[in-house]
Amino acid sequence: MTLELIGFLYLPLLAGLILTGIHAYLGVHVVERGVIFVDLSLAQIAALGTTIAYLAGHDLHSNVTYFWSLGFTILGAAIFAFTRVHGETRIPQEAIIGIVYAVSAAAAILAMSKAPEGTEHLKDMLVGNILTVSKFTVAKTAALYAIVGLFHYIFRKKFLAISMGEQIPRIKLWDFLFYTSFGFVVTSSVAIAGVLLVFSYLIVPSVAAMLFASSIGKRLAIGWTMGAVVSAIGIMISFQADLPTGATIVCTFGIALLLLAIIWRLTRRSGTALAN
Amino acid sequence: MKRIALVLAALLIAAPTFAAPLKVVTTIQDLASLTKEVGGDRVDVSSIARGYQDPHFVEPKPSFLLLLRNADLLEVVGLELEIGWLPPLLDQSRNANIRPGTKGYLDVSHGVEILDRPTVVNRSMGDVHPLGNPHYWLDPANAVRIAIQIEQKLAELRPADAPYFAQRLNAFKIRINDANKRWMATMAPYRGAKVVTYHASWPNFVKHFGLDVVNYVEPKPGVPPSPSHTFELINLMKAQHVKAILMEPYFDAKTPQSIAERTGAKLVVLYPSVGGAKSGTDDYIQTVDTNIANLVKALQ
Repeated sequence: MTLELIGFLYLPLLAGLILTGIHAYLGVHVVERGVIFVDLSLAQIAALGTTIAYLAGHDLHSNVTYFWSLGFTILGAAIFAFTRVHGETRIPQEAIIGIVYAVSAAAAILAMSKAPEGTEHLKDMLVGNILTVSKFTVAKTAALYAIVGLFHYIFRKKFLAISMGEQIPRIKLWDFLFYTSFGFVVTSSVAIAGVLLVFSYLIVPSVAAMLFASSIGKRLAIGWTMGAVVSAIGIMISFQADLPTGATIVCTFGIALLLLAIIWRLTRRSGTALAN
Repeated sequence: MKRIALVLAALLIAAPTFAAPLKVVTTIQDLASLTKEVGGDRVDVSSIARGYQDPHFVEPKPSFLLLLRNADLLEVVGLELEIGWLPPLLDQSRNANIRPGTKGYLDVSHGVEILDRPTVVNRSMGDVHPLGNPHYWLDPANAVRIAIQIEQKLAELRPADAPYFAQRLNAFKIRINDANKRWMATMAPYRGAKVVTYHASWPNFVKHFGLDVVNYVEPKPGVPPSPSHTFELINLMKAQHVKAILMEPYFDAKTPQSIAERTGAKLVVLYPSVGGAKSGTDDYIQTVDTNIANLVKALQ
């Protein structure tokens, strides 16, 4: 790799680290709650909001459009918070997430088929590209996620309790706040990195960490390390082999998880053997 | 020893300035091909999009940043064809010499014939390019107009090589004129033939060769075929005896194939760009040759 190419590397890498920071944390909650596809579902609702604003004649990057997409995200958060009916009906939360995803994706297709001056712009919005992320976006995202991170740090006991399945007072309100802040983050992340990459940042570090640790603190440490290392390796491979950057990182996540799983299996075997 | 020194000195004096070739980056391979015709060995041309890709959608790769970073000249189709992917790449390339409005940026749409320029654009029209149809390079007359603009730009950036570029442009004009006579003769029997195209990407091509596009497989540009539109299209094609559906290789052939089967028309894959196929699309003239040959097979 030429030295010149390395100069292009640091913004995607920085973006990858920022995404790791917030998503590896949120991923612990998401995996613990068993709502794996909630990010795809919320991103899709946000996209539907954008599409509708666009149809109403607003520019794709205008504030009005942004508030439409935010409004739809909050609506989605409300749906998820107020449909915790597993206790009463045995309907899993994941079913509702899937339904919301399918319906909002289909609604966006219907809306686009009516008046789609910029289907390519809308497509562009759902597949943000981490390679061409700008300095401004990186700085803005870092600031936004720091605020969300602080919010979660302050109320960590409440959020953690719900994710661990405990009943706390005013659970629906806290759940709503969780999904709203989560939706806010995911919507911004998807615009930077695309749906596939955001999903990987959210789920893979957290799953990998669960192989090796059970305490939340250790899981976070493992998740953050894995996310940072995989981002760096993935971006290096993408530059070395000239491959689309986002997809390369996703595949690197897959390979890394596989390797960790093999290590886990081997160490566990030898551990059991020793115990016997 | 002395003689060798003398020869060397003579060589040094006689040799033209060994300037490094001008580094040109184009968004599509057609522009690269025309730049090669004009620039010869004094330019080093690379294209970002491959001829087999839809130039509306290009997946950014790290090498594109490097290409743009080192470019002396960037040639674009313009009319918002590359709007979905070029601006962020250009931003991140951090090459101030090829930004729009600078000497190193050439938008060849300024000197060509543009069709389908809407008087009013609104969102109900589909994925319309508000500045006009960007697929203008498919008209050989526009190819010459593009080559002229490239020649002027190259001469501006490398004045010392201006005569060389002028001479190569002339040679190209003669070759494409001869080719055009051949194409027109081949197409003459089919003047006025009715065709359907998948996307509204062939207006310049059909105008040049005298074909009549009665409708499109897409109900609106960029919108996938819908059942009612497909049904109407089948009836229209039967009524007007349309013999061919033209489409680019990167669209889904399922709907046009089923329309072709129901109407007796033939589905023809035409290459919208140089490099669109493994063979027969090596340069601009050869690409038109291949397209005309494929088209005639269907219209016969």
